Amino acid sequence: MEKNVTVSPIAKSTLIGQRVKKPDAPDKATGKTRYINDMVLPQMLIGKVLFAGRPHARIVRIDTSAAEKLPGVYAVLTGKDAAGLKFGFVRDNVALKDKVRCEHDEIAAVAAETEEIASRALELIKVEYEDLPGVFTPEAGALVGAPLVHDNFPGNKSLHFEFKHGDLAAAEAASDCVVDSVFRPHHVTHCCMGTSCAIADFDHNGKLTIWTQTQYPYNYKMDLAPALGLNPGDIRVMQPPVGGAFGSKLDVYPYEPIAALLARKTGRPVKVIYSREEEFKAAPTRQAAIIHMRTGCTRDGVLTFRSADVLLDNGAYTSWGPTIPVIMMRTTSGHYRVPVVDFKAQAIYTNNPYAGSFRGYGNVQTTYATAQQMDMLADMVDLDPLEFHLKNAQISGEVTPQKSFLRECALVECLETAAAASDYSRKRKAYAAARDKPGRYKKGIGLASSIHNAGGAKIHKSDGIGTILKVDDYARVTVITGASEIGQGIDAVITLIVAEELGVPVEHVTIVNNDSDIAPWDVGVHASRTTFIAGNGTRRAAQKAKAQILSAAAKMLNEPAGTLELRGGFVVRDTCGTPLIELDRLLRRMHFQNVPELVMVTDYYEPNSEPEGAKHISDHSAAYSHAVHIAEITVDTLTGEIKVDKVTVAQDVGRVINRMGLEGQIEGGIAIGLGYALSENMRIEKGMLRNPCFRDYKLITAPEMPPLDMHFIESNCAEGPYGAKGISELPTIVIAPAIANALYNATGVRIFNPPMSPETVARAIFEARQAGK
Amino acid sequence: MQEITTYLAPRRLDEALQAMADGAATVLCGGTDLAPQTESGARQYTAKLLNIRRIEGLGGIETKGDKVRIGAVTTISEIRCNPMLAEIAPVLVEAAEHFASEQIRNAASVGGNLCNASPAGDMIPPLLILDASVELACWREGAVQTRLIPLEGFFVSPGKTVKRPEELLTAVVFDRPAADFVGKFRKSGPRPALEISTVSVALGACIADGRLSNVRVAMGSVAPTPLRARHVEAALEGKPLDAATWAATIAVAVAATAEDAKPIDDVRASAWYRGHLVRVFVEEVLNEVRGN
Ligand SMILES: Cc1cc2nc3c(=O)[nH]c(=O)nc-3n(C[C@H](O)[C@H](O)[C@H](O)COP(=O)(O)OP(=O)(O)OC[C@H]3O[C@@H](n4cnc5c(N)ncnc54)[C@H](O)[C@@H]3O)c2cc1C
Repeated sequence: MEKNVTVSPIAKSTLIGQRVKKPDAPDKATGKTRYINDMVLPQMLIGKVLFAGRPHARIVRIDTSAAEKLPGVYAVLTGKDAAGLKFGFVRDNVALKDKVRCEHDEIAAVAAETEEIASRALELIKVEYEDLPGVFTPEAGALVGAPLVHDNFPGNKSLHFEFKHGDLAAAEAASDCVVDSVFRPHHVTHCCMGTSCAIADFDHNGKLTIWTQTQYPYNYKMDLAPALGLNPGDIRVMQPPVGGAFGSKLDVYPYEPIAALLARKTGRPVKVIYSREEEFKAAPTRQAAIIHMRTGCTRDGVLTFRSADVLLDNGAYTSWGPTIPVIMMRTTSGHYRVPVVDFKAQAIYTNNPYAGSFRGYGNVQTTYATAQQMDMLADMVDLDPLEFHLKNAQISGEVTPQKSFLRECALVECLETAAAASDYSRKRKAYAAARDKPGRYKKGIGLASSIHNAGGAKIHKSDGIGTILKVDDYARVTVITGASEIGQGIDAVITLIVAEELGVPVEHVTIVNNDSDIAPWDVGVHASRTTFIAGNGTRRAAQKAKAQILSAAAKMLNEPAGTLELRGGFVVRDTCGTPLIELDRLLRRMHFQNVPELVMVTDYYEPNSEPEGAKHISDHSAAYSHAVHIAEITVDTLTGEIKVDKVTVAQDVGRVINRMGLEGQIEGGIAIGLGYALSENMRIEKGMLRNPCFRDYKLITAPEMPPLDMHFIESNCAEGPYGAKGISELPTIVIAPAIANALYNATGVRIFNPPMSPETVARAIFEARQAGK
Repeated sequence: MQEITTYLAPRRLDEALQAMADGAATVLCGGTDLAPQTESGARQYTAKLLNIRRIEGLGGIETKGDKVRIGAVTTISEIRCNPMLAEIAPVLVEAAEHFASEQIRNAASVGGNLCNASPAGDMIPPLLILDASVELACWREGAVQTRLIPLEGFFVSPGKTVKRPEELLTAVVFDRPAADFVGKFRKSGPRPALEISTVSVALGACIADGRLSNVRVAMGSVAPTPLRARHVEAALEGKPLDAATWAATIAVAVAATAEDAKPIDDVRASAWYRGHLVRVFVEEVLNEVRGN
């Protein structure tokens, strides 16, 4: 025993599954956090963008001379300053436009001393437009002879996806029941509390530093570079705290290259920040679509096939939105055991705002369809939906037609847990029986589930993450990681895992993840992947450090190798917990001995998934997961108001890591999903957004949040960190169809065109009653 | 963009009125309408900004004899928490209860709500069924001059009233309702909190000898201004409350809404839905007034 150590034995304990607070929570709660929106750099100018304010037009003439002469204005840029600098998935976008293709097209930009001067300069820019006929629905865009949004995309055709499995005609012939419906999921937007913002600055070697809200800093460089004619290697990405992202920062949007172009022109740092109205108009949306879906089953309630023909409203440019069929088809083919699948999706350019990625990524829209059709089919074959779901539920070891390998599948357990906890079957029967009785208020209960990737999604060449971990002389740990923190809580997960492995307090872990010149590569925060991927990366790095520390300790203390552990800030004997030496003292000894040894390790973790591939037949995620929501609602059949009384959630989380973070993600995910289901709606008329403000765009606020009864199913994913799976998108995905099914249970009415706003519901009930008369 | 060159926050009414006499001041009370409207560019500040919240005697809720007087700068929160109003005009408290959120209620004034003249202003329908009047004051010929205008005649069109630019709304006044007067208010929007009314209905009547009398019905968001629904009132005046005829009474009242409510389609709701809600709410408040 080392001298000075008088501590009693330290028992084994674990942090996994405990509630650990987010390291940044106190600063955020007290207003100390300085978000990017608050940042001011010396010499910084303010950039402002002139938006077209019309959906489709030729720019006849543009005169910036008066704006340029205004004192305090340092640069005025127009389309010619960005000519040829195409960026985007299919290189159809450019920072400043020479033609107007949607309302928020960026026509000119100024950099000025103050925001007021910049605003005044914008007013002085004279633009003469020649308005062009536009296309405002994908159907209209697909018509022969429709006006072209981009001359080089004939037929307004953007991306196309297809997946077929089995003999559709034979499956249809073998079906006793088929439901056939058209769903029209609508446009919504992320509404990050921190509006879009970027600050750009060039050094004299031509290297760009950009402070931005991105959630994918490394591929971001690759995507931003062509918009500026730069080498991606000459871009340094800084990530200050952000006020939300939810997928909206998974691509480059024009304000970012605009900030950089202005910075290059003026030689000074330039900040572009959107007002709320600009944010509504110019930030990406969730992809709107028209989903024609058919699902069949036998008389006994066994699914026979599912087909989906999807038309996507591409909007004016191609960001992530039109790529969502990658996930839409996984749900079409994998949401329950579907033997035969036929999936087609075509994105059509329109003069509408364009979509990016948004939490749930195509699965929100698809599950709104699949989960309602499950309910409809159960009704047709006269089965309790629970029984119908159970009949078709996959179990561990099954492989979907697209080759998603459901290694650990807890769908049955999720269904049974949620149904039992909410008394689903009894209530559903009782409410259905009361449906046609008199009474203004009707109760309903609805069940929905979905499947989502829960171990990343290998749509890039690698789905990996780099981690560097160092332990200093005071046993303080620094984790330098590619994993971005955008509010989702990876910071808490990382500190928890390091504390778990190295036996140090969570407060002794620092994370460096905000500078692309320092932290190693990662794909980005998307696909519910970060706890899974970065959790594994952190754990592996921590274990490497631990192995190094314990081997040094064994040598120094003359203890047999493999018998020591790190616990409570000490090296202890694993079996009895007897402390042998303080960890920090050991680290100093390692450092300052004859052959000095510093603890610093690196790791690159690549999950065992397969690349998506052009055919979309691959095990593209290292894990898949299910969630079941059961919504209980009260419907005012006259006003159409839906009050959500309670939601029971059963989700396969693999293993709970940070319980508080998990609960927070489920609550937040459901809040977003509820807004989608009930109230959020971008009212776009002929390409123009009519409600660019929170007064008329209704987010769910605290009083509308229902009580949640959460059940975490631990399926123990072999590949996941401690068994965990990714969890954060399913809550957003499943809630809307659960409410739609509850609405049907309560009233017999189905809504195919969300949101289920009071007016939409009231009208549907009113019309159903008129028709019934 | 107009620059504000003068900011005034007088303590005395006559000072304020003198400052307004040229009709060129922008009056600021809680600012909960003014700030968003100027921010969005829907309206502009003038060079002179006049904060009226510090003027003595412009706030407070008091009764004098049969008259109830609510000062213009009284906040919605003050109305909501006023025990006297809860006693004599609970319909106002009910409307305040459904008004915006705690933060907005603490800043928003009743005078601002009336002067903003939105068809969706929530304090307006309850004040209309209380048969309220507004007191307008100005500085003329070296003295404070006031006039009293019935609230029903105050509104001209969205955002426009008969108040002249040099006039300040100083108070809203109404007669203490009769002991047998019952008033109810109902508003709706897609969300329970922080909601601009899609449609609102207030209904008040005296209930004596098993009959409705003195029936007053007001509606919001169904026309360019909040209005008294005279056809619905006529359909209800003198009607008995007995169970045998009640359904028929409701039916005629609901049918009469078509004569009074002329809603439009806009981004918040369609004309159909507004008309539908008015029918639903008239039935609902009628039942509440009857005590169903
Ligand atoms: C988030 C939010 C939610 C809201 N929710 C509701 C709601 O639920 N229901 C509702 O009815 N309203 C709502 N409003 C609108 C607003 O709060 C109310 O209309 C409020 O009563 C306005 O009062 P104010 O004191 O803030 O008026 P201000 O904004 O100060 O003034 C409004 C207008 O009246 C003029 N004015 C004010 N006082 C006087 C006076 N004494 N004499 C002459 N002119 C005057 C001003 O010059 C200005 O033109 C909401 C507003 C916001 C921002």
